[in-house]
Amino acid sequence: MPPLAPRPQMTTLLTNGVLDRLERLRIRPAGRRTSRSRGEHLSGKGGTSTEFCDYRDYTPGDDTRFVDWNIFARLHRPYLKQFHKEEERHIVLLVDASASMKFEDKLNLAKPLAAAFGVMGLLNNERVSAYASHQANDAPDRLPPCRGRASLRMLFQFLESVEGRGDAPLDRAVELLLRHHRGRGVCVIVSDFLTFGDLKRGFNLLHAAGLEPFGIQILSPREIEPDVSSDWRLVDSETQETLDISSSADLLNLYQEYRQGLEDELALLCRRRQGRFLPVSSATPVESVLFDQLRRRGWIE
Amino acid sequence: MNWGGFQALSHLWLLSLLAPLVLFYFLKLKRPRAEIPSLVLWRQVLQDHRVNSPFQRFKRNLLLLLQILLLLLLVLAALRPFWRGGPGQHRRLPVLVDCSASMGALDKPGGVSRLAEAKHRVREMIDGMASGQELCLIAFANTPWKLTGFTNNKRLLRDALDQLEVADVASDLEPALRLAQALGRSEPFDEALLFSDGNFPPRVNFDLSFKLNFQRLTPAGPNLGITALGAQRAAGGGWDVFVQVEGSADAEGNASVELFQDGNRIASERITIARGHAQRMVFQTKTEHASSLRAQLTPDGFDSLAADNAAYLDLPESRPLRVFVPKSLGSYRHALQGMPGLDLFPQATGDEASGGFDLVISDRPQDLDLTARTRVSVGFIPPDLQRFIEPGTNGSTVVDWRRDAPVLQHVQLADLVVLDQPRFAAHASEGDLENLGYEVLIHGQHGPLLARKKDADALRFALLFHTDRSTLPYRVGFPILVENLVQAALEQAGLAEALAGRTGVLPPLTLAPHGRYQVQTPGQTIEAVTADDHGIVSGVAAPQAGYYSVLENGAQRRRVGVALLSPSETTLAGVAQIEFNERLQVAAAASVVKTDWPLWPPLLLGALGVLLVEWWFFQKKPGGWK
Repeated sequence: MPPLAPRPQMTTLLTNGVLDRLERLRIRPAGRRTSRSRGEHLSGKGGTSTEFCDYRDYTPGDDTRFVDWNIFARLHRPYLKQFHKEEERHIVLLVDASASMKFEDKLNLAKPLAAAFGVMGLLNNERVSAYASHQANDAPDRLPPCRGRASLRMLFQFLESVEGRGDAPLDRAVELLLRHHRGRGVCVIVSDFLTFGDLKRGFNLLHAAGLEPFGIQILSPREIEPDVSSDWRLVDSETQETLDISSSADLLNLYQEYRQGLEDELALLCRRRQGRFLPVSSATPVESVLFDQLRRRGWIE
Repeated sequence: MNWGGFQALSHLWLLSLLAPLVLFYFLKLKRPRAEIPSLVLWRQVLQDHRVNSPFQRFKRNLLLLLQILLLLLLVLAALRPFWRGGPGQHRRLPVLVDCSASMGALDKPGGVSRLAEAKHRVREMIDGMASGQELCLIAFANTPWKLTGFTNNKRLLRDALDQLEVADVASDLEPALRLAQALGRSEPFDEALLFSDGNFPPRVNFDLSFKLNFQRLTPAGPNLGITALGAQRAAGGGWDVFVQVEGSADAEGNASVELFQDGNRIASERITIARGHAQRMVFQTKTEHASSLRAQLTPDGFDSLAADNAAYLDLPESRPLRVFVPKSLGSYRHALQGMPGLDLFPQATGDEASGGFDLVISDRPQDLDLTARTRVSVGFIPPDLQRFIEPGTNGSTVVDWRRDAPVLQHVQLADLVVLDQPRFAAHASEGDLENLGYEVLIHGQHGPLLARKKDADALRFALLFHTDRSTLPYRVGFPILVENLVQAALEQAGLAEALAGRTGVLPPLTLAPHGRYQVQTPGQTIEAVTADDHGIVSGVAAPQAGYYSVLENGAQRRRVGVALLSPSETTLAGVAQIEFNERLQVAAAASVVKTDWPLWPPLLLGALGVLLVEWWFFQKKPGGWK
């Protein structure tokens, strides 16, 4: 019997093995945010799905099709049958594709992570849309909302084509995203969050739009433990602005305090808006992030 | 009180380098660039870094501050600061360095000489000289010589100091002090430094007009040396050679004394020297010919001074003394005829003889023209004395005479009757005779009766009365007087005894008149000399012990050996206190003279330290300054 030919890779972002494992997982949001349109997620309110939920007294004007006639025959009082309402959930992927993400494989980790969330959404019949922000004043590159396994290739092609450039602040990217997006759900933001913009405003906009912020901060090893000795002139990769520093232990300690402070602030911003936050190093393998950190933290199940 | 100062304050302009240093620091034209993803965190960090901690400003500019500190240290070092020492307060300071033979003594086997120690200490002074200070180096042994005038040129001073060598002669402090005093008349100073082992007479005939800082050097080790070498004609012919060996106060032990004649060892003797004692030994040689002797001392143990271990002696050829006495002086001829070892002229056969004589005794003025080493004029006044002495015939008596003069030893002149009356001319006195080089040996009632004059190569006696017109020939003392004259003539001719030559000046050498010669010293240096009308070469400096060769057109004509032969130098006795006139006493300084302490070396070391700190914390140490 001839050996089986190896299955071709669907995408360069994720291996087939990872895709197989993702097929059995789904996103587990902290809250229950769904769109009114019919979907696969219970809304918490009464609906028209096939799944029975409860009874209530009949009031004039109710749709008589939902009266339980068997009970009416026994008790001679009309009761109305209630059913769960299943609504659809939006998975919005926002990939920070500014120039700062080009450093040390930060973007190369951001794209597979976004792809993984997109795959989980599509395979669970969510509506998945993707955005890649570059310039502050330009609309982000956009993948319109799509659904189903058939949209996987579109999602992969979109993310594979994302390149790092520009200097888009995150709040501006969120603002431009919300101009196109309608629907509640989860917004997965993959970024380094090193932005001069107002982070709080961006998270507020997402919250107001009914999107739970899932923040994944990717920092390179040298950003986590900078190796700066003697005098240096630092150049911002996005703005080309310069900053002169003289290395000292105090300066590095202060840097660590600020980096940790940024993480704490981002975590707080997400948590207060029923979101989640995870800082990762760009040196961490994507499998480790997906199947270890995200699962242990309950992001996916 | 002035604690210190700067030797090169003119270098203060170097402080202006601070301006470009600060300018270049802030310009930072070549700061390495590093592209990073974002400056977001760094801006916040730096803002907090500067605002929240005022001291951070200092830390931020620590590199600049270190560089400024480094520059300040270098500029300070360039200003050449110093900490004031003892003599630094004097603007002019003459330094007298003893170079006598004892300064060549070593302190221990393989150690350094006293002169080397003195040079070391003087060099330290030169190195620590203040900018406005001037030193004058004066070396002295038996005579002083100025190495440099007052100067602040350190290179000149060091070069002069390097050329300083030990002279194998005894030291004499007085001329050195007089030279320093003479220098002080044109360039005044308050204090002079004296570096010596103290091996000079404890009393100096000098009116000290400045403060003397006597820096006595540490004593040398034990020493044995030959302090005397001489020969006397032996009764049966030949010579008795005397050698005396002495030692320093702490020297004791055995030694060998060897005697070489014309290079061949003719005698040797083992001696034992006890502390504070001398050894005298006699060797005998039967030679009748001129020969050269060398005595060599070889101590068994450590000997700190080598210059006094050899002595040289030239023995003359034995011959009868040639004496000329005219027949008119029968009393003298009678006295001389009984003496052995002399030829009396004119002889009874009427032979007048030609050539020179060793002794001429005559009452004829024309006989003074005869060539002789010793001349005695009798009964007339020599031409050079005729201005001050007048003849007379009223008679005279002896008032006093020099009993210690060799020629008058054992001669009783009391109650001598003299018919002549030599007397001083009007306004003449004994001082006028002394100015001519005469020494009055017998004083008469009105003037001198006997005078002596010693020249470089001749000895003259002037009997200003005629002995035949006195009672002298009838007295017992007359033959003794004649015997003394013969003895003086023998010594003058070098026939009775011979003494070893001493360093300092070579003994007069008899060569061809007006001859041009070269004298080669033991150090192989050459000095040109010219003989005088009588063929005498004199006044040749002989500062080193050893053989001096007289060359004529490259060929050796004479060879003369000189040695130290100084008991004071050999015993290395050093005084701790010098007494000057009016009972002024100067004790050896209790402490080593303090020189200015230069501060620039520690400043340079500090600058190097700052440089290393800067390199370590800003280049080497990961994480920078903590």
